[in-house]
Amino acid sequence: MNVQYEKVRAQTRRHFFGQAGLGFGALALNQLLAEEKGGVGKGVKIPAKAKSIIYLHMAGSPSQIDLFENKPALTKFHGKDCPEEYLEGKRFAFIKGTPKMMGSVFDYQKRGESGQWVSDLLPGLSSVIDDVCVIRSMNTDQFNHSPAQLLLQTGNPLLGYPSMGSWVNYGLGSENKNLPGFVVLASGGKTPSAGKSLWGSGFLPTLYQGVQCRTDGGDPILYLSDPKGMSREARRKTLDALKDLNEYQNQHIGDPETLTRIAQYELSYRMQMSVPEVMDIGKEPQHVLDLYGAKPGFVSNVETAADPRRLYKGDDPTFANNCVLARRLVENGVRFVQLYDWGWDHHGSSPGESIDETLPIKCQQIDKAIAGLIKDLKQRGLFDETLIVWGGEFGRTPMMQNNVNSVLKPGYYGRDHHPHAFTMWMAGAGIKPGAYGETDDIGYYIGENPVGIRDLQATILHLLGLDPHRFHFSYQGLNQRLIGPTDDGQVIKGILA
Amino acid sequence: MFLRFSFVSVLVLSIVEANAELDFNRDVRPILSTNCFSCHGPDQEARKGKLRLDTADGAKKALKPVDDPELIYRIETNDEDDLMPPPDSGHQLTGSQKEVLKRWVAAGAPYDKHWSFQIPRKKIVTGGTNAIDHFVAKGLKEVGLEMSEPADRDTLIRRLTLDLTGLPPTLAEAEQFQKSGDVKKLVDEILASEAFGEHWARMWLDLARYADTKGYEKDRGRNIWRYRDWVIDALNADMPFDQFTTEQLAGDLLPNANVDEILATAFHRNTMENDEGGTDDEEFRVAAVKDRVDTTMQIWMGLTMGCAKCHTHKYDPISIEDYYSFYAFFNQTEDADRGTPVMATPTRSQREEIRDLEMEIKDLDQELKARPEEFQSAFLKWKTKIGEGALWRSLSLRGQETKGTELLQSADGALTAKGELPEKDTWILTFDLPAGQPLTALRLDALTKKAGGKWKDKNVALRELTAELFVDGEKSRKLRLTNPRADFSQKGWEVAKAIDGSTKAGWAFSPMAAAPHVAVFDFDQPVTGGQLRLTLEQEYGQGLIFENFKVSVSNLPPSWLEAEVDAKGGLESVFVTHVYGPTREMSVRLEAARTNLEQVRRAIPQTPIMRELSVNRRRVTKVHRRGNFLDRGEMVSQRLPEMFGSLPEGFPDNRLGVARWLTDPENPLTARVMVNRIWARLFGKGIVETEEDFGMQGAVPTYPDLLDWLAVDYREKGWSLKDLLKTIVMSKTYQQSAKVTPDRLAKDPRNALLSRGARFRLSAEIIRDQALATSGLLTQKLGGPSVMPPQPPGVWKSTYSGEKWKDATGPDRYRRGLYTYLKRTSPYPALTTFDAGSGEVCQIRRIRTNTPLQALITLNDTTFLEAAGALSKKMRSLEHGFRLVLVRSPLRKELVRLQALYSTMEKHYENNLEAAENLLKSAGLNEGNAAMVTVANVLLNLDETLTKP
Repeated sequence: MNVQYEKVRAQTRRHFFGQAGLGFGALALNQLLAEEKGGVGKGVKIPAKAKSIIYLHMAGSPSQIDLFENKPALTKFHGKDCPEEYLEGKRFAFIKGTPKMMGSVFDYQKRGESGQWVSDLLPGLSSVIDDVCVIRSMNTDQFNHSPAQLLLQTGNPLLGYPSMGSWVNYGLGSENKNLPGFVVLASGGKTPSAGKSLWGSGFLPTLYQGVQCRTDGGDPILYLSDPKGMSREARRKTLDALKDLNEYQNQHIGDPETLTRIAQYELSYRMQMSVPEVMDIGKEPQHVLDLYGAKPGFVSNVETAADPRRLYKGDDPTFANNCVLARRLVENGVRFVQLYDWGWDHHGSSPGESIDETLPIKCQQIDKAIAGLIKDLKQRGLFDETLIVWGGEFGRTPMMQNNVNSVLKPGYYGRDHHPHAFTMWMAGAGIKPGAYGETDDIGYYIGENPVGIRDLQATILHLLGLDPHRFHFSYQGLNQRLIGPTDDGQVIKGILA
Repeated sequence: MFLRFSFVSVLVLSIVEANAELDFNRDVRPILSTNCFSCHGPDQEARKGKLRLDTADGAKKALKPVDDPELIYRIETNDEDDLMPPPDSGHQLTGSQKEVLKRWVAAGAPYDKHWSFQIPRKKIVTGGTNAIDHFVAKGLKEVGLEMSEPADRDTLIRRLTLDLTGLPPTLAEAEQFQKSGDVKKLVDEILASEAFGEHWARMWLDLARYADTKGYEKDRGRNIWRYRDWVIDALNADMPFDQFTTEQLAGDLLPNANVDEILATAFHRNTMENDEGGTDDEEFRVAAVKDRVDTTMQIWMGLTMGCAKCHTHKYDPISIEDYYSFYAFFNQTEDADRGTPVMATPTRSQREEIRDLEMEIKDLDQELKARPEEFQSAFLKWKTKIGEGALWRSLSLRGQETKGTELLQSADGALTAKGELPEKDTWILTFDLPAGQPLTALRLDALTKKAGGKWKDKNVALRELTAELFVDGEKSRKLRLTNPRADFSQKGWEVAKAIDGSTKAGWAFSPMAAAPHVAVFDFDQPVTGGQLRLTLEQEYGQGLIFENFKVSVSNLPPSWLEAEVDAKGGLESVFVTHVYGPTREMSVRLEAARTNLEQVRRAIPQTPIMRELSVNRRRVTKVHRRGNFLDRGEMVSQRLPEMFGSLPEGFPDNRLGVARWLTDPENPLTARVMVNRIWARLFGKGIVETEEDFGMQGAVPTYPDLLDWLAVDYREKGWSLKDLLKTIVMSKTYQQSAKVTPDRLAKDPRNALLSRGARFRLSAEIIRDQALATSGLLTQKLGGPSVMPPQPPGVWKSTYSGEKWKDATGPDRYRRGLYTYLKRTSPYPALTTFDAGSGEVCQIRRIRTNTPLQALITLNDTTFLEAAGALSKKMRSLEHGFRLVLVRSPLRKELVRLQALYSTMEKHYENNLEAAENLLKSAGLNEGNAAMVTVANVLLNLDETLTKP
């Protein structure tokens, strides 16, 4: 045996396993850094507060005015013309001319010991409000869905950049080598506006892109099931032959990539077992399912509808099922679980998209589930190592949308897109519960402690143990970062525990 | 990725040590660029301590005092405040990097222009060897290696065919080559095949960010496949790269540009458009123009302009003013995020069809006009026979019931409303029908309205027309009108709607209301004698009722009666078209040809193209501060980035000039970037590994002289891709065996020096196409609209867009991967999992990955199962199946193992008949051998199958 050869071969093999990426868990950045001789990437890893993250994205953007922003002054102006100062030089998606001010359609109470204002639409969240940090001073510079979602999830309003989840997956890898490190679950009947680009890997290797797990009755992961007529046993036999033949090839050519190939097929076989297992929420005891309002095996008719919005029902458990699944996934070592729930774009211009009728239904779908998720994570001791983020891609205007109706009409209460101030909340690992930031009397502009999209991204990376300013990938001659080329994005210290 | 760069630096260092002589570009610049330029580089705003290290002048300050230069102190000191790069920058110099800098300073700190900005020169290669082999052998010798032995013929033909066409060779081709061994002939044959263009088009389409949808929220379809086919055709014709460049970037600006040249400009219309409600078109127009600038620089010059759109580039000498001045060239086209302009771009077969039809029409027309000899006498005879009367006889008005209008009839039968027209009315009019011959059809002449009057709109809206018949002594009978036709109808107000029993719409003729019009209806049964009562419902309002009109009937066969305003030619044209045998036959053919032509014309795809704004509409370009298009700074005029000087004398000062400059011999980058790209497709990585970056931050070439030799040779020989490929594949370097030996792995672990044949996983499309080709399923059809092969249900769930994925069932199910419909926000998963792009932005290279999801596709995806099914049918034996896929004969032990698998599975399925049937069904077979299907499935999943040999 040639010792030198074996050594180099082993090294090269590790190189392929690592760099070309075998499996999901193999390519953690720290492992690469250990082998890295130059100074690139030094200091990227910092002590982590969160082991994993569950990001709940309400695609379309819920109205902060009707959920979190109790504004008596706005209610006082309800139905009056919006003052010119708020309209001058502003770009809106749909509002034309002078719209009327519109106070919250729903009542507010102070909730929990912290006494945070939350509207009556979210009783579940209200019950756990003391575990949550409500950020009332979010803002973005995009006011159309697709670019705003892209900016939030990929750091760039244009298509083609790596998503936050793939960045994290690239930096930290998965704890479970049989499961992807970045899993996406969608509900509401549609994928979000910017489509699968929201979990794409951009210029990062495709290994890191989000894997969409589906709960609508098909394969949980595309192509996961063996074809009809191919039993587990038969598959094993064919893979044994494949392995042997590849082994001959390896003896013949001696390319380490052949070993990668062998391992790749074995891993796919194991995944065929582990994925359906973890995806099967039917394994949960009834009281846990009840905590979320989940119903295993439920396939909603909205998932196949051309326009699902009119079919929404408050007791649709799809989102709740996804929340249970999210918990199971992080429990099994998945790093980044992203839930997209579609149907939050309440313009009031057609049925199924109004503040007065649709928003309460959407809230019912998510509210119990989210409270259940927080309680369940707490009772399992996972709350302290899991970061939860909730929000849309922008906010909604304190004015009614007037391009269809000039007066308020039941079923047609609507608000336009509002990038200047909106609400998100975070909870769990490393987060100090309470409130952060404020808006002005009518909720139009930020009053204090503004939080930009890049700040949010910086904070998420920071909590997961990645220095947002140093964490980068060299591409096209630039050290590309999630938070963009400038240092505008800063960790929001005020919300950290 | 980090790991890869570390290997490169190890390699570089070993060369530095072996060679006492320092090369600034190879050894020093990369260290400075990575560690120093972000604060001490071209970007004035980011520059610290007024020091720049990217120019000799700027560095002077740091090189003083000569005996103890500041620069050396700064990199060696232990004082954290003084240390460079600063500890918190994330950068740190290694010992050997410091050593290089010290030696460089000691040698007087010589600077050199960045290598890629210097014009390439061809080093003369002597000794008659292929230049490639000359350089590679020299490089290998330096580390004590020689080239590997040549690959065997089976391997070589599989390698050549896959590399050059993206398809595997057939067994017949392999057997012929096995006998002849004539590589040159083989290469010529492969290069001449149409599959060549399809394969290399894929590479170009990645760069062109080609997709079948517009992107963003709605992500609606866009007809731009004619551009894809243009690329295929251009590559198959081996269009020289300078022409290929000019046509795509500025084909519309060429003198007397033809359709193909303009079609080529769809290249830059592949940018995305945002149809989301409430978006600002200007915002996305600007984004598209910036994408064009970035993409152009990326593809041709391997430079990233992108950074400079917000601030001056930190590494390369490109300022924000440079960016917007170059942007100005591209800022003058008509398109503005709204889909237009588009152009009719007929396919070759459509063009041929149109040409043939036009010729046929012309010939027939002439023939008809000439009239056969006997025509006149036959016509006179016929005319006498049917009577001198015209085609139509106008009817006399007998009674009128209206809500106020009064109609008067003149001698020629025309009916005129007296006085001012009311807003609306319904008329019930009674006419005497001529006795005698049975009447077949009814004609309504809408004569022009007079100018002026109360109603400006001279249109008529006949919402409903009904007819009744009165014969003396009998009850009235409803007449059914059929076969409605008019010389012209308004869109949405087609004449048929006047007799459809509904008053929702009817017959009207805007925007041609000023001219007279005619409608003709047949009686479903001939009518003889009595009185005709017509009801004309004209209740639309706004005075849209008849002012002048005429009602007539005919007794001739209805097929003779056309809705022609001018019926004067009447009898003769009826005779020509319907009665007289010789001309009738010609007329039928003429009519058919005209209908055909109309259909072909309507089917011509409309493709988005570039069109320059007229001089008076040209845009003013200003700097966008921090890249924000709403924050306009100084005005700029169009010019090249300063570092490249100005457009050569005589070049047009527009996109066309830019295009020509890109392939000008004085351009240092284009040829290098292009040959490097081609090299990377064949060898797995480029001579410059960072294909996307030839700037300061890019990798240094492993074989600089080879790169330059190829670049100059490519340009000098007329930019022929086929010649370039031939030069490369005929080299020993390319034809080496891929076998890995201990010595080679130790001395050349990543094969950067090319001590063996390149071996890497095949691309997404090749993996698909190979499975289809070896199993015999592949549909070989060049071009056409994109297709939808099977995809798991529910993958497409896009917001608002009603478009649906429908699995193709015919030949389109098995087209090459290149033709798969690409939706940007939901690309075809079986391709993207193998690293294919989504067409969102220019993709310079695909980073290869290996994931278990890929294995699941080739094992379980419908396409691959159906390929396994077809292959199982085609296999005459296990050995034959093996060779169908891999060309070479199996080793004995391989055959034994396959045999063992087959026996096991045969037994398995004998005991599980239902499973066998299910598997066959999964593989698209009605009957067959399930055990053989599993063997075929294994063959299509072998490492060797998925890997370039």
